[in-house]
Amino acid sequence: MSAQPQPQLPPGWQATWDQNAQRYYFVHIESGTTQWEQPVAVASPPVVTSPLPGGGPGGVHHAARKRQYAAGQTQAYLGTAGADPSMGYAQPAPADAYGQQAPAAQPGGQFFTPGLADDPAAQAAAAPAMQQPSYYGGQQGQQQPGQVDRLANQFGQMGMGAPQGQKPFQLHTVNLVGMPIDPRELLADPPEIRLPPGACISNNPMANADPSYQRCTINAIPSTHSLLNKSRLPFALILTPYRSLKETDDDLAPPVVSDTIIVRCRRCRTYINPYVTFIDGGNRWKCCMCGLANDVPQLFDWDQQRGQPADRWARPELNYSTVEFIAPSEYMVRPPQPPVYVFLIDVSYAAVQSGMVATATRTILESLDRLPNIDQRTKVAVIAYDVTLHFFALPPGSTDSKMLVVGDLDDVFLPQPSDILVNLTESRTALEALLGKLSDMFQDNHAVGSAFGPALQAGFKLASPTGGKLIALSANLPSLGPGALKNREDPKLLGTSQESKLLQPQSSFYKTFAIECSRSQVSVDIFLTGSGYSDVATVSGLPRYTSGQTYFYPSFNASRSEDAMKLAHELSTLLASPIGLEAVIRVRASRGLRMSAFHGNFFVRSTDLLALPAVPWDQSYAIEMQIEETLNQPFVVLQTAVLHTTSFGERRIRVVTQALPTTQNISEIYSSADQVAIATLLANKAVERSLSNKIEDARDAVMNKMSDILGAYKTNMTAAGSGASAQLSLCENLKLLPILLLGLMKHVGLRHSAQIPSDLRSYAHCLLTTLPPQLLIPYIHPCFYSLHNMPPECGTIGEHGVIMPPPLPLTSERLERHGLYLIEDGQTMFLWIGRDAVPQLVKDVFDLPAYDQLRGGKATLPVLDNPFNQRVNAVIAKTREMRRTPYWPHLYVVKEDGEPPLRLWALSALIMDRADQTPSYVQFLTQLKDRVNGGSFS
Amino acid sequence: MGGWWLFLFSVLAAAGLLFTMVFFIIMFSDLECDYINPIDLCNKLNQFVLPEMIAHCVLTMLFLLCGQWFTFLLNVPLVAYNINKVNQKNHMYDATEIFRTLSGHKRECFFKLGFYLLSFFYYLYRMILALIQGGLEVKR
Ligand SMILES: [Zn+2]
Repeated sequence: MSAQPQPQLPPGWQATWDQNAQRYYFVHIESGTTQWEQPVAVASPPVVTSPLPGGGPGGVHHAARKRQYAAGQTQAYLGTAGADPSMGYAQPAPADAYGQQAPAAQPGGQFFTPGLADDPAAQAAAAPAMQQPSYYGGQQGQQQPGQVDRLANQFGQMGMGAPQGQKPFQLHTVNLVGMPIDPRELLADPPEIRLPPGACISNNPMANADPSYQRCTINAIPSTHSLLNKSRLPFALILTPYRSLKETDDDLAPPVVSDTIIVRCRRCRTYINPYVTFIDGGNRWKCCMCGLANDVPQLFDWDQQRGQPADRWARPELNYSTVEFIAPSEYMVRPPQPPVYVFLIDVSYAAVQSGMVATATRTILESLDRLPNIDQRTKVAVIAYDVTLHFFALPPGSTDSKMLVVGDLDDVFLPQPSDILVNLTESRTALEALLGKLSDMFQDNHAVGSAFGPALQAGFKLASPTGGKLIALSANLPSLGPGALKNREDPKLLGTSQESKLLQPQSSFYKTFAIECSRSQVSVDIFLTGSGYSDVATVSGLPRYTSGQTYFYPSFNASRSEDAMKLAHELSTLLASPIGLEAVIRVRASRGLRMSAFHGNFFVRSTDLLALPAVPWDQSYAIEMQIEETLNQPFVVLQTAVLHTTSFGERRIRVVTQALPTTQNISEIYSSADQVAIATLLANKAVERSLSNKIEDARDAVMNKMSDILGAYKTNMTAAGSGASAQLSLCENLKLLPILLLGLMKHVGLRHSAQIPSDLRSYAHCLLTTLPPQLLIPYIHPCFYSLHNMPPECGTIGEHGVIMPPPLPLTSERLERHGLYLIEDGQTMFLWIGRDAVPQLVKDVFDLPAYDQLRGGKATLPVLDNPFNQRVNAVIAKTREMRRTPYWPHLYVVKEDGEPPLRLWALSALIMDRADQTPSYVQFLTQLKDRVNGGSFS
Repeated sequence: MGGWWLFLFSVLAAAGLLFTMVFFIIMFSDLECDYINPIDLCNKLNQFVLPEMIAHCVLTMLFLLCGQWFTFLLNVPLVAYNINKVNQKNHMYDATEIFRTLSGHKRECFFKLGFYLLSFFYYLYRMILALIQGGLEVKR
């Protein structure tokens, strides 16, 4: 990387590669100004005011012209970036981009100089110059400041690559001891991927994978295994290939290649992507992974719809890292199956009395329109179970259903062959009638016990011919038939080394049954609403291997509207989300790399093939990698392919391609490490460890990894070498890793405590291993806001929706006795109120006369007619929807002198504090420092 | 005690166990080449796990009953290893973990293969020895 071929330059100039634009820009060293155009030997002023001097960079231009096909944004980019008359940009094109109606943009204004973005003075000077026409026009005088802002923003965005590019690969070492923590930095993008020039055949900014789809723990791959080992950094890929889209942002679905021309390497089966090279005049392409030259099929350059030649360079698979191919029948074992939903609803006494049945049936009823059913093939069945199984025949067109009871739990059979699993559209009326009355039908049910296992088997019998989804709701510990479980919770074991026994499955039924399900393409989601022990540890094995999810509602009671709301929200989100059926995931990598371990909810069907009966949205998978041979190529490519059937019956392949440079320089490895991805991987590994060994071992492993990294960093990258040092050094981009890992070790899933019921731990484990980074990071490092003194604009609608208060470091030192705070981790929200809160605050927020009247616990804030209440409500609402998440966090009001358990629970989110048996952040750093100074690292 | 018939029986048993191990190893390499899926593999192999252990255990007991102390002691470690595995309930192959534990399983199978192979020749040697001794006694 350090040996990039640079263009010839006159003295005093320096060329720097810009990652975003995929081209060089040029820095005049003396004045510090930058420009896109290549300077020539004629001494020219740093800011070019006339179009390109003669002998411009022909190569760049040629490429740029070829790329005119690219998306609109690229054109806009080029239009503002390099105004080259020869390219046809001489007309006042940029006017649109600036959003002003100036009849003629000033020539000077057309030129974008990256340096301007860094120089406020120059910006200020440039902005009025360009604003001139409207400024003197007088009409829009009032909008002036806004426009300048917007303009400045635009400049800022365009110049993004410049500040980093000017200091190539510089490693910033920081001393962790005494360093303040700014939680906002957790939201930053991972370190930039700096590919060698020419690696990518497209200059589309989307040509490399977005971190929300795929991110690597290291963005510059060490070329040898020993170099990786020396850095001690973990090497893994974090995938969320089937992620949801946020409608409010300009978050677009991946483009679809609809002409079924799927070009793949003959040898390694890699899908064609922006990192291949075309050879032989474009008739053949060289695979970026194995180097094999493949033929380009004739139809690749042919527009089948219009019947005319097409521009190859406009094909999405050569411009976007994430694309979807529509697969022909070779990619199908059988024709695409319809989506099938089998609802297994617990109707025992406990389930009915808790209101679960009523809430669930109402939610399903209301979600029928949102179930994926575009081509009206979706099938639905409802099975109610207590100590027996109740099937419902729902004949098409009928308005009534017939209940069929099966009492034989050891050998489950279907009472009749048809009309139980029915077409949603045809049997809609019968289904609606059933869902409307199901809760009342069992209102007086006194059956105690749960034939959960037999109900699952019955659901499996219905769904297995086609595959599909079982959605099982249970309010009891399974007690009858296969899969019956014992209440094994033993408070004496909690906090001891025996605790992990409670976190392991007690019955093999749920695993063997899960394997059967996976084989028949049946995915299981489980909603547990029991008031007592639910054995999440055992039951969650079912979603674990069938790519489902476990949802847990301890002591659910629908008479609390918050409980009903949470269940209804999460169930309906699940029902409404599109699913990818009969899916397999395979990750391919350049020669020399191998996928070595897989973490997440799926079944590993062959050495590198993951089977998922139904890919859910927003689940994350972690894949560890090994460097098996020396990597001689300048960059490597990692490609994830998800073959799945959409809910509208189309077989599709979603391909995510990511290219990463290789390096022999250890400092580049450190400076490109992604702390968020590392924390995500270690969360997965820690959970696995706590199940196979002890929870304590899992915490130790996390601690060891952190001290290993710090030790290796100190040895390799600092002057202290292996001697003792008062500092604890780590590079800037990893500086939040220690606090993330501290958060992980203090998490409900891992922390040392004798108070955490094993169900809560197991549920935390389910989340730690499935949440994508954007949800996992707040889950281990909660967000903490001060509300009583938030800036006036917070809680009001800004440019990007509701403006959030600035997050605070997670320490109770920030809690003032008269304050109001919000602590949230994406699963739970705590509204903390200090004991000296003034009555006006209590009145404004809670509509109560004084602090004493306030009750702690689950709550919904009243909506009142005062600005502060509305702002607090807005912040809470924004917290619930700002991440792409199916979860609906509960809000707890926590009084500073309220019930101790709730208070301690809320305070446990403040991970920088010292707690019972866990160190504070400062103590944690001291422990790490002692280890680093004590141990010897090589 | 312990005539040639005992060793004839052990030779046959060792040959049987040997073939079981060869079968296991072939199945594992099939799995690696993706010729068989892990579910079928585990279902197939798990049928043989306990019979293999029981056969070996019975053989060892037979040596004990016949007073073949040395041969018995040779086999005791493997019996103890198997019993330990059964006690910890990880003697069966788990389809969900098979790829993570495959190298360990293969190593174990190769070790057992070697052990049965050596046993086979040792029993054969002892059988021939017993036959020759028997022949000498008859002659005398
Ligand atoms: Zn290839």
